[in-house]
Amino acid sequence: MICPLAEVEEVFKESFGAVYQCSRKNCYWLEFKDTTTAFKISDFFLFKKTIDAIDIEKMLSDTSRTADFELVMPHRTDRCFILSAQDVLNLREVLAGAKFMIELNSEVKRILRKEAVLASF
Amino acid sequence: MKDLLKLKTSLAEDIENILNAQVKIEAHASALYLAMSSWCDDQGLDNSADFFAKQANEEREHMLKLFNYINNRGGRAISPEVTNIPTDFDSFRGVFEQTLLQEMFVTEQFNNIADKCMKAKDYVTFNFVQWFLAEQVEEEYVARRILELFDVIGEEGTGRWEIDKHLVKVTFSGQE
Ligand SMILES: [Fe+2]
Ligand SMILES: [Fe+2]
Repeated sequence: MICPLAEVEEVFKESFGAVYQCSRKNCYWLEFKDTTTAFKISDFFLFKKTIDAIDIEKMLSDTSRTADFELVMPHRTDRCFILSAQDVLNLREVLAGAKFMIELNSEVKRILRKEAVLASF
Repeated sequence: MKDLLKLKTSLAEDIENILNAQVKIEAHASALYLAMSSWCDDQGLDNSADFFAKQANEEREHMLKLFNYINNRGGRAISPEVTNIPTDFDSFRGVFEQTLLQEMFVTEQFNNIADKCMKAKDYVTFNFVQWFLAEQVEEEYVARRILELFDVIGEEGTGRWEIDKHLVKVTFSGQE
């Protein structure tokens, strides 16, 4: 569950997952497969890189039973993600959407800051 | 929504990636020159062995310069994996030919980085890589000059000994 003190705002939401930002603790919350996990900013992007690097083709073509699922245990979280190929694709979509919104927000804020300073000109 | 991204890093993702790629290239160059040093030592080419050992140290310093810059800007520098370092080389001359090609490759990479910075309007990083671009003029000059010794002195008779003796005197005096 998301911390009750958290000031969360929705970053990106899909039917199978969502990312929220807590501006009080400066972290991101990932909601995925009935779990919520908090990530520090850099950990969040590191996690995205890890998920993007999973070799889905290998998961699908490898016939050994252990290859059906990918185990991801991000540092500094107490979470263990057990992901099927479909989960990986879904998670990628959530993280990519969130990253896009985070960058868009950053860009909008940058323009607003500039406007605020230069408005009197 | 608060801008958490900018609080963390001043580097755009693709700039951080290309700088980390350069960290790896410098680490590779360092390991390659160390391998050359060992080969030269084995061939009895004492000065060349020293020359390449020094080069290896310099490349490691280049790597750290990039590494620290990435971290100082809020990025995450990656300690690179270095693979495919040869243990044997074809010839004395071949080692210096490979050195020149290696340095020209590095120059090309820094040109690409400068180009990326320009396009991304990251003039802070653009300014940072100026030092490396200037450094490459010297690196290429020294490698090319040493290579010319092979023609000027010739490898016959005591030629290889002469070349090994003289190459330490090759220095770059700048553009004056
Ligand atoms: Fe270098
Ligand atoms: Fe170099």
